Amino acid sequence: MTTQTKPPPQTSSALNLPVRRFTVAEFLALVEVGVLTSNDRVELLDGVIIEMAPIGDPHAGTVDIYTEMLPSGVDRGTLLRVQGPLALDEHSRLYPDLMLLRRRADYYRSRPLTPEDVLLLIEVADSSVDYDRNEKLPRYANAGVPEVWLTILPEDVVEVHTEPTGNGYRVTRRLRAGDVLQPGCYDGVEIPVGEIIPG
Amino acid sequence: MATAQTKPPPPSADVTQLPLRRFTVDEYFAMAEAGILKEEERVELIDGVIVEMAPIGNNHLGTTDLYNMSFAREVGDRAIVRVQGSILLAERSMPEPDLVLLRARQDFYRYRAAVPDDVLLLIEVAESSVNYDRYQKLPRYAQAGIPEVWITVLPERIIEAHAEPVAGRYTRNRIYLPGDTISPSALPDIELVVSDILPE
Repeated sequence: MTTQTKPPPQTSSALNLPVRRFTVAEFLALVEVGVLTSNDRVELLDGVIIEMAPIGDPHAGTVDIYTEMLPSGVDRGTLLRVQGPLALDEHSRLYPDLMLLRRRADYYRSRPLTPEDVLLLIEVADSSVDYDRNEKLPRYANAGVPEVWLTILPEDVVEVHTEPTGNGYRVTRRLRAGDVLQPGCYDGVEIPVGEIIPG
Repeated sequence: MATAQTKPPPPSADVTQLPLRRFTVDEYFAMAEAGILKEEERVELIDGVIVEMAPIGNNHLGTTDLYNMSFAREVGDRAIVRVQGSILLAERSMPEPDLVLLRARQDFYRYRAAVPDDVLLLIEVAESSVNYDRYQKLPRYAQAGIPEVWITVLPERIIEAHAEPVAGRYTRNRIYLPGDTISPSALPDIELVVSDILPE
């Protein structure tokens, strides 16, 4: 009998494993059967259920400022939706901070939003900059969301991303206090960046 | 004002490195009950993450059958031989080892899940999944106090026997090769011939 003793490494690093992925329909079923509850701040990204970072005060306040500054309504032909879900494809259902939507009489009660309904999407990033920039942004581009404003609080910057392609947004502009935001879906609407980010 | 830049987005990171919503065993069962996880799916729950298991090849299947037959013949009523059944390892882990020898129980664990205290020996057969078994499952078995684990590594024709878990690590590790015999510590009279388990 050979008696070799070789203690194997018994490290357990991050799970680098084939995770069982969920469809949007399965994700909604998890809510329906009560596995996911209203206490869960989660979104579905490529079939994986991700826990979202808690919203801090600067983040929450910035969302409030946007809701005050962004015009919407019947005369504009738009709706403003705050922290509502957007299904991008069969395996992704994300919660952007704000979306300007094509106005619909039923406020999208009767069918889920699709990326084609979105005119402008805004994210406010405090601790989640990398996640928003590296994970969410390319997926918004791929889904054809025409314009994304990525509000990066730690950098005092609003990044305006336009011209979506399957490979990201072609045009990115980094705006600071002193610059002016102009939603592509409106004529003549200007929001000073300084109103959003004190700078 | 605005500077016009064109910049392709950086490549996307592996999403499984993000903070995943992890599930308890109860939630895992609720998913199965609701039909969200299908019975035919080969999955297991590891630290709250539902992991897809590699498909089982013929060599893996046959090796498991051979273990099953050898033990079934020898254990009598001293243990229960369970093939590819789940073990309730922790609140968030329910792995499905290839074979376990469980302490004999008259009710055959019909009314409750088998827990680490019930396990005499746990066997994994690894064909493509060696690293997963060694580095993900083994430390968790040690943490849970499973007394003895054999990882049967088909490509290397070895059995790694790990015993005496202390503080989340196995402290007695021995490699068995063709030519050796191997016995469960809990049932030392049962001797298996390694070359039968791992033929050329």
